[in-house]
Amino acid sequence: MTHDPIIIKEKVKNYVLQAVYAEKEKIKDNSLIFKEGYFDSMGFMVLISYLEEEFGIKTNDADLLEENFESINAISEFVIRKIQ
Amino acid sequence: MTMSTKRPFTKDIILLDNVEEVTNKIIQKLQQDVLHNLKRLGAVVGTSGGIDSSVCLALTAKAFGPEKVLGIIMPEKDSNQDSEMLAKELAATFKVRTIKEDITSALAGFRCYERRDDAVRRVFPEYDPMTYKMKIGIKQTGLSNNLPPVFSLTIIDNKGNQEDKILPVKEYLAIVAASNFKQRSRMSMLYFHAEALHYAVVGTPNKHEQEQGFFVKYGDGGADVMPIGNLYKTQVYQLAKYLGVPKGIIERTPTTDTYSAEQTQEEFFFQLPYGLMDIYWYGFENGYSAEEVAGVMEESTDQVKALFSNFERKKRTTDYLRMSPVRDYYGS
Repeated sequence: MTHDPIIIKEKVKNYVLQAVYAEKEKIKDNSLIFKEGYFDSMGFMVLISYLEEEFGIKTNDADLLEENFESINAISEFVIRKIQ
Repeated sequence: MTMSTKRPFTKDIILLDNVEEVTNKIIQKLQQDVLHNLKRLGAVVGTSGGIDSSVCLALTAKAFGPEKVLGIIMPEKDSNQDSEMLAKELAATFKVRTIKEDITSALAGFRCYERRDDAVRRVFPEYDPMTYKMKIGIKQTGLSNNLPPVFSLTIIDNKGNQEDKILPVKEYLAIVAASNFKQRSRMSMLYFHAEALHYAVVGTPNKHEQEQGFFVKYGDGGADVMPIGNLYKTQVYQLAKYLGVPKGIIERTPTTDTYSAEQTQEEFFFQLPYGLMDIYWYGFENGYSAEEVAGVMEESTDQVKALFSNFERKKRTTDYLRMSPVRDYYGS
């Protein structure tokens, strides 16, 4: 399991880009992926399961904040904080 | 010059001014649809003791006469005991014949309980269906911000100790898929009796359940007519009072009656009391601005905007449930 922030961000980015039903070019690292509607409820649950399995983190109620998931950058930072 | 006919937004904008007139229109349309268009002789209604099925039973009894209506009570081992008692009281009020079809063994045959309990145990290894009750709920994240809701699993032991966890997606899907055997088994039973009598099946979802996707495709969403499918819950209650639905049913909190632990519809799906949900949904679907709605509801505009995008998302993500099978693969 990696602790390297660059690899974590790359993995998160690859995951998000393959999971959304949208043109990949539209999604930047700071695009608001939930506000823009790229992820629905099922997509969010699958994302959480992916992060837990891939990075060995545990998501709890207090983590379910927009600031932790709103963009590729936010998700990567959330994972890095959780791993540390 | 064009003038807007849209009424200013108010808290009671969805209240029906003339309940009697609306009721009569629904009854006349039911007669037209079932007797003339569908060419059936009467109707069967699954009666759960809840407000929606009660109003449907009452409307159906008025439309066809009680002798051409059959109420079917379909409990299973997780059903609330009150449901059957209230359904019987309702049927007596409208002089409708009822039969009881316990679907527990059918569900056991589908391995509904076993499949569900296996998934629950993957989240809580200590879960034992003999001593624990379980339910699925929504984590309160979705309404006031842009994150969609996440589901949680709650188990309650026989001493009332409660534990809950965010549900991993595989287990969530497995629990919902297994539980949906309940609604689909009920639909099969309704069609058995309907076909045996040459009757139609009356579906009981209301407007919110239809439009927000709170129904099981080919389960409670499987029916021939849905007389309250365009009514807000507040309006369903107005009809219930007018039609004389027993007080015990009107005063009961709407529940899902799907999981072994008590669970309100608000907790499971809607995240707002129905009275508020109705008003906001009306504003949303009739194009009122978030500013105007916020002013009337004494909420912040941002909160109402987030709520409206939540509604939009719910509508969009549940389109699949309302779609008929796609068949235009050849020709037109």
